[in-house]
Amino acid sequence: MVAKKSLSILIMILLIISVLLSGCSKNVSGQSNKSISDKKGKIKIGIMQIIEHEALDAARKGFIDALASKNFKDGENIEIDYQNAQGDAPTAQTIAQNFVSGKKDIILAIATPTAQAAYNATKDIPILITAVTDPVKSGLAKSWDKPGTNVTGTSDAAPVQKQFELLKKLVPNSKKVGVLYNTSETNSELQVNDVKAISPKFGLEVVPVGITSTNDIPQALDSLLSKVDVLYIPTDNMIVSAMPIISARCIEEKMPIIGAEEGTVNKGALATEGIDYYKLGFQTGLVAVDVINGEKPSDIPITTLKDAQLIINEDTASKLGINIPDDLKEGAKIVKGGE
Amino acid sequence: MLHIENMSKVFYKGTVNENAIFDKFDLDVNDGDFITIIGSNGAGKSTLLNIISGSIEMDEGRILLKNKNISRMPEYKRTRMIGRVFQSPAIGTSPSMTILENLSMAYNKGKRFDLSWGISRKNIPYFKDALKELSLGLENRLNIKVGLLSGGQRQALSLLMASMSNPELLLLDEHTAALDPKASETITELTKKIISKKNITTLMVTHNLSQAISMGNRLIMLHHGRIVLDIGGDDKRKLTREKLLKCFDKIQSESESDDVLSDRIAFS
Amino acid sequence: MDLYISILEQGFIFGIMVLGVYITYKILDFPDLTVEGSFPLGAAVTASFIVKGINPYAACFFSFLAGSAAGLATGVLHVKLKMTNLLAGILVMIGLYSINLRIMGKANIPLFNKTNIFTGMVPVAVIAALFAICIKILLDLFLKTKFGFLLIATGDNPELVTSLGINTGFTKIVGLMLSNALVSLSGSLMAQYQNFADVGMGTGIIVMGLASVIIGEAILKKVSIILPTTMALIGSVLYRACIAFALKLNFPATDLKLITSLIVIVALALNRYKIGERFKKLFTARGGIDAAH
Repeated sequence: MVAKKSLSILIMILLIISVLLSGCSKNVSGQSNKSISDKKGKIKIGIMQIIEHEALDAARKGFIDALASKNFKDGENIEIDYQNAQGDAPTAQTIAQNFVSGKKDIILAIATPTAQAAYNATKDIPILITAVTDPVKSGLAKSWDKPGTNVTGTSDAAPVQKQFELLKKLVPNSKKVGVLYNTSETNSELQVNDVKAISPKFGLEVVPVGITSTNDIPQALDSLLSKVDVLYIPTDNMIVSAMPIISARCIEEKMPIIGAEEGTVNKGALATEGIDYYKLGFQTGLVAVDVINGEKPSDIPITTLKDAQLIINEDTASKLGINIPDDLKEGAKIVKGGE
Repeated sequence: MLHIENMSKVFYKGTVNENAIFDKFDLDVNDGDFITIIGSNGAGKSTLLNIISGSIEMDEGRILLKNKNISRMPEYKRTRMIGRVFQSPAIGTSPSMTILENLSMAYNKGKRFDLSWGISRKNIPYFKDALKELSLGLENRLNIKVGLLSGGQRQALSLLMASMSNPELLLLDEHTAALDPKASETITELTKKIISKKNITTLMVTHNLSQAISMGNRLIMLHHGRIVLDIGGDDKRKLTREKLLKCFDKIQSESESDDVLSDRIAFS
Repeated sequence: MDLYISILEQGFIFGIMVLGVYITYKILDFPDLTVEGSFPLGAAVTASFIVKGINPYAACFFSFLAGSAAGLATGVLHVKLKMTNLLAGILVMIGLYSINLRIMGKANIPLFNKTNIFTGMVPVAVIAALFAICIKILLDLFLKTKFGFLLIATGDNPELVTSLGINTGFTKIVGLMLSNALVSLSGSLMAQYQNFADVGMGTGIIVMGLASVIIGEAILKKVSIILPTTMALIGSVLYRACIAFALKLNFPATDLKLITSLIVIVALALNRYKIGERFKKLFTARGGIDAAH
């Protein structure tokens, strides 16, 4: 037993020495005052995403296309390294650390967990974020107008005001609105709070129902369907991915669904004044170009999507027996299908 | 010193398989008795031991051990006064621990299991001596994991551990049945040696008639949960296998014809 | 080099959780799912305390206590209410989800720019290693005490423990409390490492813990001087290494989990089929082939 104890102590000492020695070389990052665009060789961009998801994938594509539109093409003058954490938070940490040790010039972090991992790994390399609902509450920036950190970009905070206006136009007699959301997603929590704050203005009572897994959805729906007149689906990764079953059930029970983004309407929700994640990503890409050209992230305000797009699902409308007013139809993007 | 009174136990009550193993069973064991218990399968021998030790709860009755009423005591409290060796050599020891560790635990039985060191070097000579008596060479292999020992060796160790704390009562449940003939013989001799040396009151269940005859001062035969034979003293010394077998047959045939069997049959 | 450091950092932080899983899964032979709830519990308690300005080391301590309470709950359900080990663990895990949300007040608490045990001058890996190794040594010492023996025997042969006059229910409860206390402590450290606590942090913890225990054991079993607790810690580091190398291999991002599985399988297979020995035999034997096991 004595031998084993001293072996453990020996290992511990060796460990400390090796780490201290390597620790010396650790803090070598730090940006020079030259802008990234002055750099010789390809600009290295690390893109990290938390999980496969339609909206997040669209944002990524938008970002890359925005760079291309400003003549930053992958393989030519930039090098894009895309990593997906497959839903594993510690893996996101490792990806971020890899990006830092790989000396990326810019990091794009899509969604809150990856943004937090990126910010944890570096306070120097500029981090662009997108699909993060509240960067300030997530600890990434000091304020929306002036982040004050190396983080800037866009937020997918849903324009709840606009969506509720839409809701009242399409379902004018509604008194109670149900909100289905995943309690583990902090973005959803924030949206539920927004909904609760705003609904009195529209004379609506909110009935929020939280779930923790897709298996809970059928029962959650059961409890909501009898209580509310209309359902509101926030930008919630889990709920949106389960839209097929949700919309099938709701259409059966003639319950209209208002979504917060286009994907939800494509999958059977009635309508949304929503976020096009591709456009959001594109907007972020343009900010990235500014950063490449020398602007500091700490000074660039974090923005939401400039234009919300009205999207209406024709098929759903006819199945629910809802007549879309003409003035709405005009500016709208009409989609079909989705159950 | 062990007094069982009016003990009843029914298995699967209220179902098709209902089996009233014991019905108002009585037994008195005296201090220093070494009782061998035999009987046909299903007679209730192991069940009796289980009820005494508390691993099976009886439905009715009283059990007094050294004048203490243990009828409702949970098993782990009763075992403080009772030592047990089971049929399977695997049950009496901890296979992933060493001989020394197992013996240390057995030695600590009845005392506090706190955060002091599990192994006390002071005890090693004592353990070695105890192991020497087994004549199995185990005294030189204190640090070997018990799981690596043979069935006979493990059983010997179990016996040693069960008797180390000088329990009030020792229950042996066919503890040589799963061993090969040589090991069985070794354990039998060991059992005799330890019990006579420490003078522990013992109940030993066995299928082996020779064992039942040669060991102990008293023999009990169970049949359908009743004591049909209870021999001690000189009568027991004069017992032979043939006589016992005849007795078995007699009881079998009588129970087939007539359910009523008196509690004790005088041996003729 | 940074990659190795990251592997060590995470390996040691999770290693504390792996030690906890080792206690229930290997010593007590009790598959305990509570850990999926007690890991984020530790994170939740520490995050809420750090945000309130409480000393991070004290926060660690309270997380440790909270974890032991979770283990106690599972133990009582199993011992007193006679639920199976799986069911008891699952019930507590489910309950903890809501409790964690209540403790945090929301699903995610950021801790950036707050002092925690890692924000000092000493490198993170060193602190993580010190915590993990000290806990390992304490655990080893504990397992050599009289009560430690009882714990091992409870998992090895509960009949024996009962024969010794000890209530196995009691030993199981203590084992569960200790295990979940360690898991919570690990969660506390993780929250401070990644600088945020998230209510979903527990998902997949049991798989990670079991995989680490099994890998460590499979690879190091034959090296007799290494204690099982050391194997557990090394297993944790190896598991994180598998994931990190899977990332480095630049396979399509979607294949990460498959690659990780494959690496683990290859590691276990190499060990099982004694590839090293086979090569030796191939070169020394004359035509005779002993395929061995």
